[in-house]
Amino acid sequence: MILPWSRPTSGRLKMQPERQYREDPPVDALHPDWREDDHLIQLLVHNAREHAGEVALRERHRGIWHEYTWQDYLDHVMNLAAGLEARGVRAGDRILVVGDNRPALYFGMLAAVCLKAIPSPAYPDTNPAELQGQMEAEAIRCALVEDQEQVDKLLSIRESGYDNLHLIVFDDDRGLKGEEPEGAVSALDLMAQGRQERENRPGLDEDLQSRASVHDIAVLLHSSGTTGAPKGVPLKHGHILSGVRNASAAGYFREGEVHMAYLPMAWVGDFIFTVGAALALRFCVNIPEKQETALHDLREIAPTLYFSSPRAWSNMLTRIQVGINESSPLKRRLYHHFMPFAVELERRRLEGQAPGTLERFWRGVGEVLIYGPIKDHLGLSRVERPYTAGEAIGEDVFLFFRALGLNLRQFYGQTENCALCVAQPPDSISLHTAGKPFPGVDLKINRDGEILVRADNIFDGYFNNPDATQETLQDGWMHTGDAGYLEEDGQLVVLGRVSEVVYTEAGHRFIPTYVENRLKFSQYIKDACILGRERAFLAALIVIDMEAVGHWAEEHGVAYTSFADLSQKPEVYGLINGEVAHVNTVLPEGLQIRRFVNLHKEFDPDDGEVTRTRKLKRKVIDQHYAPIIEALYDGRQAIEYEARISYETGASGTLKRHLMVSDVTPAHVAEEA
Amino acid sequence: MFYRLSGIKHTRYASSRALWPVTADRRIMQLLVALALLAPFFLSDLYLTSYMLPWLIWTAAALSLTLLMGMAGQLHFGFAAVLAIGAYTSIHLTRAGVPFEFALLGAGLMSAFIGVIFGAAALRVKGLYLVMATLAMQYLVEWVIINVPAISGGAQATLSTPDVTFLFMPLQSDASLYYMALLWTVVVTLLLLNIKRTSFGRALVAVRDKDFAAAVIGVDPVRYKLLAFFAASFLGGVTGAILAFCYYQAVTPEQFGFNVSIQLVAMVLVGGLGSVIGAYLGAGFVLLLPIVLTNVLAFLATYEWIPISFNLIAHIPLMVYGALIIGVLLYEPLGLAKIYDNLRKYFVVWPFRHTQS
Repeated sequence: MILPWSRPTSGRLKMQPERQYREDPPVDALHPDWREDDHLIQLLVHNAREHAGEVALRERHRGIWHEYTWQDYLDHVMNLAAGLEARGVRAGDRILVVGDNRPALYFGMLAAVCLKAIPSPAYPDTNPAELQGQMEAEAIRCALVEDQEQVDKLLSIRESGYDNLHLIVFDDDRGLKGEEPEGAVSALDLMAQGRQERENRPGLDEDLQSRASVHDIAVLLHSSGTTGAPKGVPLKHGHILSGVRNASAAGYFREGEVHMAYLPMAWVGDFIFTVGAALALRFCVNIPEKQETALHDLREIAPTLYFSSPRAWSNMLTRIQVGINESSPLKRRLYHHFMPFAVELERRRLEGQAPGTLERFWRGVGEVLIYGPIKDHLGLSRVERPYTAGEAIGEDVFLFFRALGLNLRQFYGQTENCALCVAQPPDSISLHTAGKPFPGVDLKINRDGEILVRADNIFDGYFNNPDATQETLQDGWMHTGDAGYLEEDGQLVVLGRVSEVVYTEAGHRFIPTYVENRLKFSQYIKDACILGRERAFLAALIVIDMEAVGHWAEEHGVAYTSFADLSQKPEVYGLINGEVAHVNTVLPEGLQIRRFVNLHKEFDPDDGEVTRTRKLKRKVIDQHYAPIIEALYDGRQAIEYEARISYETGASGTLKRHLMVSDVTPAHVAEEA
Repeated sequence: MFYRLSGIKHTRYASSRALWPVTADRRIMQLLVALALLAPFFLSDLYLTSYMLPWLIWTAAALSLTLLMGMAGQLHFGFAAVLAIGAYTSIHLTRAGVPFEFALLGAGLMSAFIGVIFGAAALRVKGLYLVMATLAMQYLVEWVIINVPAISGGAQATLSTPDVTFLFMPLQSDASLYYMALLWTVVVTLLLLNIKRTSFGRALVAVRDKDFAAAVIGVDPVRYKLLAFFAASFLGGVTGAILAFCYYQAVTPEQFGFNVSIQLVAMVLVGGLGSVIGAYLGAGFVLLLPIVLTNVLAFLATYEWIPISFNLIAHIPLMVYGALIIGVLLYEPLGLAKIYDNLRKYFVVWPFRHTQS
């Protein structure tokens, strides 16, 4: 809705700063640099016109990769857009998107964008109550879902009193064909209807393609909500595109990357990579068959750009180590020669020492014998830009993959800034920094040690939440809520959440996540929760890694039956004690972990103990495990704990568990004993 | 280590059934084909005509037999007779003025025709009884050839092959004979590789595994057993003709005796039942190993490194050779092809022991 007089207005606004504090500034005043027709749909149309035959999207279905060219992509989006409009979707409607990554869901999101409606993705394993909360907050009238499971979830929400849901579009019609519930339609049928519409109304295509604007909201994402309910984060076309362009200007993405879309659609990175960057830079997006086959399919795709969480990288390393331990003697010996060699070389390279000629030659031999084959097995042999973000990555993991020859780098960003904020440049990598801000991103640290950023890719405010907006966006700077500092060479170090800084009884300041991450670098520890706020010392709730500890138990002849049983074995306590003691050696005096408990179960998002992205919800944990926490601090050696468990049916029960509480013995003492 | 599998993806089911989807396998094939094509340029005439040539032709024969024994599961202990029919038919046809190309076809058809008649026994009997039926074929055919002068040219006669051309190329020089044999072996190889991927091949395998189970899933065992005998005998007949024209150049009935049949069965078994590469390895093992052993022993004996009499030298290779066959089959009952496969897999999963995920 750009009007002829709006340009001079924006100019005048600059001259009269006081007018900027109006309640609702005109949209283009916020972003005077954005071009009106520079939006995702226009990019899609451009790609379909200039690169019609190129493969834009691949989906693995029953072992075969089905390909969509840019022309097909546009065609499907247009069909869905026309279909959705015929079914009553209007500009400004929020459209719920639930499911694993599927082409139809991506097409549907863009179709919604064509209609100026707003796709609002949710995690596929969200439970009905949470989903209903999101739907009520956003007045969802139309939902686009993957399969019958999600349709059933929506139907149960509708039955429980949410009567605003008029249209459900589903992709996979298995279990639904011929039995469509009221208001539900398959994506195929909807596309057929849309095609009919397009044939009947010439000019509809041009109309649909020209509606979107750079100032429209392209997607409504949700901040993960470690504190309280998730907040809606509306991102506009302009935010996404400027973020993507900043990143590509700095060489973090290239044109025509091969990318695999396997991370949850509700996560900001997936929309940015799979839709935003893919349209702007013509990625070839590959969608695995299922979540479970993602690692296998990764090898078939061999992407050039790969993004994964530190946890997934660490799982990958564990998988390699387990595989090598089972391997034949010659292969094992070669691995145990070449891998430590490369890791050492990489460690020295990061410290600034270049390898000698002989070492480079020997590394080349290792590339043929070990590094190349391992990368090939992982499907990472063509990866040029591997990234990790979300939390700190373990030194072992980071060095291992860099030693393999992957230029693994860390990213830092939030949903609010399209996750594109700070990254490590290719030439200066260090373990503890997150890197430098992207070009076009201003970054500073305020007096409280909080990281502030200002850029074109930062959102304009939370969805229907002016209080939170005012808290986060002040004077054009976004308050990230993370504590950190800048090094002399401009590299950012992120410590943790400002809100998480806590003090022990003695006044020692610490950030639990920081310690937890160090614990989690151990392959035997899957999760940890550090306690110690206003207590005499630090204590830990530990969740063992079933796979790694189970393997360790097999090797050491420790018999066990279940997770709960394994976690309580004295031998396992000994193992974990060693790991905790190792972390204690790098922690300052007064912040060492004195006692810990191995929990009988994992932290579960269904119990509300962690978010869907596996961040701890400390309040819930404090409440759930209160008796155990008491036992940790009153010196008892064991506790009978009544565990409350909620079954997937929604019923709940209690289960008595006998848990040991252990003091941490320093590593050298433990060895002597 | 050499096998790189990442990035191999299929957009159609057809491509997922490709013969060599892995680049390293394709490279090995290209290298072997190039070596085979260039062999006349770097191998001496002796090696070309007395090692490469018979190896290729016996490989073609072993391939024909493995189609019947390995894929369709029908035992055949009289395959030398099939070769003999092909050899004699082709010689008589060319002598009667039929062009060589058509004589090959005629040889195949004649073998197929007679082979199917004896194969018909397979409709009623299996296993050892089928062995007896095919042995009967071996002896009957041998007897007929020897005792019908019109075929053998007389009781102790040797029939020499007339000069022929194949597709306007005269088959006289060693190289041309070699290329002819190579061409045929490659044709049979490609045929077998592709039969494995067709409904025909799958039907044969179904019949092999259990003929009445095959009938239950809609495969007609009668039809496919006869087809298997027809196809294998046809290929065997043409191979017999190639053997006569490219290698023996003069045939006598003794060249197709019972021991030859047994050797063919040994090639198929040692190589690996039903395996194409196994036929190559099996033919090489059965045919070339005795020669290599004899040469090694003779070499050692000439320099008197081992004190043995020349009488013993003739026998030791046979003993070692027999022990090796038993050894191979004890070590790996699935034959040399399986040993190759294990070796390949060792490198495919490198540096792990088995495939991940």
